[in-house]
Amino acid sequence: MNRELLVGVSPHLHEKDQNIERAMRDVLIALCPAAVVAIVVFGMNAFYIMAVSMIVAVLSEFVVRKIFRRKTSVNDLSALVTGLLFAFLLPPTTPLWVVAIGAFIAVGIAKELFGGLGKNVFNPALFARVALMISPLSMYVSKFVKPFYWRHTGFFSNVITSIDESVAGRIVYKGITGNVYMNAVTSATPLSLMKSGRMLVDTVTGPTPVGATWLTSGGRPSLWSMFLGCKAGSIGEISILALLVGAAYLLYRRTIDWRIPAGILGSFLIVMLIAWNNPVYELLGGGLVLGAFYMATDWVTSPSSKSGRWIYAIGIGIAIALFRLLSPWPEGTAIVILHFNVIALLIDRYIAAPKFGALKKRWINKLPVSP
Amino acid sequence: MKEQGLRTFKAGIHPPYLKELASGKAIKEAPVPEEVPILLQQHVGAPNEPLVGVGDHINLGQKIGSSEAFVSAPVHSSVAGVVKGIQEATNATGQKVKAVVVTPDSNQPQFSGVSRDIEALNAQDIVSIAKDAGLVGMGGAAFPTHVKLSPPKDKPIDIVIINACECEPFLTCDHRLLLERPEAIIAGLKLFMRAVGAEKGVIGIEANKLDALDGLRKAIGGSADIEIEVLEVKYPEGAEKQLIFAVTGRKVPLGKLPSEAGCLVQNVGTSIAMYEAAAFGKPLYERVITLSGPGIKETANLKVKIGTRISALIEACGGLTEDASKVIMGGPMTGWAQAELSVPVIKGTSGIVVLTESFVDVRDEHACVKCGKCVEVCPMSLMPNYIVTATQKGEWDKAEMWGALDCFECGCCSYTCPAYIPHVSYVRKAKAEIGAAKKAVKK
Ligand code: SF4
Ligand code: SF4
Repeated sequence: MNRELLVGVSPHLHEKDQNIERAMRDVLIALCPAAVVAIVVFGMNAFYIMAVSMIVAVLSEFVVRKIFRRKTSVNDLSALVTGLLFAFLLPPTTPLWVVAIGAFIAVGIAKELFGGLGKNVFNPALFARVALMISPLSMYVSKFVKPFYWRHTGFFSNVITSIDESVAGRIVYKGITGNVYMNAVTSATPLSLMKSGRMLVDTVTGPTPVGATWLTSGGRPSLWSMFLGCKAGSIGEISILALLVGAAYLLYRRTIDWRIPAGILGSFLIVMLIAWNNPVYELLGGGLVLGAFYMATDWVTSPSSKSGRWIYAIGIGIAIALFRLLSPWPEGTAIVILHFNVIALLIDRYIAAPKFGALKKRWINKLPVSP
Repeated sequence: MKEQGLRTFKAGIHPPYLKELASGKAIKEAPVPEEVPILLQQHVGAPNEPLVGVGDHINLGQKIGSSEAFVSAPVHSSVAGVVKGIQEATNATGQKVKAVVVTPDSNQPQFSGVSRDIEALNAQDIVSIAKDAGLVGMGGAAFPTHVKLSPPKDKPIDIVIINACECEPFLTCDHRLLLERPEAIIAGLKLFMRAVGAEKGVIGIEANKLDALDGLRKAIGGSADIEIEVLEVKYPEGAEKQLIFAVTGRKVPLGKLPSEAGCLVQNVGTSIAMYEAAAFGKPLYERVITLSGPGIKETANLKVKIGTRISALIEACGGLTEDASKVIMGGPMTGWAQAELSVPVIKGTSGIVVLTESFVDVRDEHACVKCGKCVEVCPMSLMPNYIVTATQKGEWDKAEMWGALDCFECGCCSYTCPAYIPHVSYVRKAKAEIGAAKKAVKK
């Protein structure tokens, strides 16, 4: 019997179809419905943003890992996921060069500089989004447009490369095809309308695919518009329906833990109910649903125990609600989850279910005193 | 896969069981090999010293190694023959141990022992018979049986559980024994109960062996103190602490023995060996093992003489298939992969499983992505991912805090880890380091 036999430590079986690529593929599949809605609502512009973000994310990973002499890991698909998620967080007016910078920050810095997938502290997509928000480039990532604005500009042609605010009080979009559009298409997001108490004056006239008009309840998008995705917002966050369809798939595949979205949305709703601040509207608005199902559930940056996940999720839900209620900003999902990425490290350190057969049922770890 | 309403433990996994490969094969005698290396240490505890010299002629069942230590079990010859040498041999875990190598006679005698009335034996008799016959746990752990039968006086045992779970994939030897020898199992259980003074005996059996229930019920007959508990099919249902919890709802305190929870767990094979030792004076020199897996030509359940090399057994089953790539001694979840097929079967060997390339899913280890799946499946409710990170950093105190010492190496965590982290090898390293550190402190 002369043959090479494999050795290696037990167990010698591995769960079928349980690996990192599979999880990443699941997320990519789950994001598809929302991506399609983004293109329908914001035109091919949304597609260009997603494509640039994903391409730059993959290239950054490839190049940075080469520089660090790490093994290429492009086929674990995680860069694609980060790229797509980052694109989801951007307003449809983001110039493509800003998208590229952000995608590089996400993968090259937030992920690889920390040591690669698994070692990163922050959710890379959120990290890059917030980095842009507080950078000099912030003006490029804060202008939202009306849904179906492309009816004025054309479905394909509107690639926005820069924004020029020099014309007094007006915003000029410059496209690579030479198109320039006025501020007629910009719009406040539903949450900022709520915050400011302003009404939206509909300057986009005519019917939309989802109904005779998307403006119903008192100068704000109706609940149906909010749910289906007919509203101003970041390209991936608008359609709650599409996000939920994808989330159902992820839950079915057990790729994400239901405790995290349940904890976030539940506690958020409770706070909003107590404050009686239009809870359903708040739930459907902004990046909350995207954050709860796709950002906070990120394996690497959330706690790994069930009890820890409950604490993390409930904490996030309450914090987002308080942020929206008390801060001057309409939305805080990204910044709150980013903070909880750090808190997750602490939670994992201190919170663990008692071991099977433990005499003292302790939920809080006593860390050994290092000599 | 999940049977509703059956008792079980918390967490765990559902690997493919593939028991059907061998469960239909009745137990057959394996051929007597040409050379029999009998290891002098086959159990947990102190090693034995040889009682025979080179050139001696020894009988079937003769004691050939023993030790003065309490935690140890003597070994007996599985054949009649001549001692060819006493030398170092490698066991399944890769350690070097002393072995008595016997060349069997061409004519092997039948075993002739005593005939005892087992009803007349008292507790002390049973314990000393178990010790004398070299009984150890035959499910794999190989802990000396007489030690288990002598619990501390202040920890009375009220329940004896026969572990008939056989939760490891592929293995079917216990299933065959349940089908073919239920009377012997029940007789052994009664002896265990008498030895420790337990009022109750329970057979904990997974729901994938329901065909054995009829025979067991018949064997139990009118004994009201013996029950059968059908358990959910889940791995590791047959792990001692998990089984005790599933059957009784009691938790064995961390770091303590089952006697602390008033329980004694014995394996099906051990139970039969107990009966045979008591009734006929037959020492433990042969056992039933399963040969199975996609990489072996014929699957079988064989009664094998301790000391038979696994190469001989594989040959008896028609050899390996072309694409066989891993030969495992024991089950695929906790067994040891063998590079050399010359290692001999010992008392704790429950099977030989041969996997093919398509079954062996080896990949490079990725950094932990903290998915928490290992935490979810760990039957001890540990944090396997942080045991690993602490071990990687050499932070032994933290590794201990996360539960390195409480891990019983079931492998659920690695089975489900998307990053393909071999937790068990980290745990072993951490255990060794923590143990060494504790010894140093004592000195
Ligand atoms: S299963 Fe693997 S990747 Fe997931 S937390 Fe555990 S060790 Fe990390
Ligand atoms: S940590 Fe140990 S006890 Fe827990 S699942 Fe892993 S091997 Fe099993």
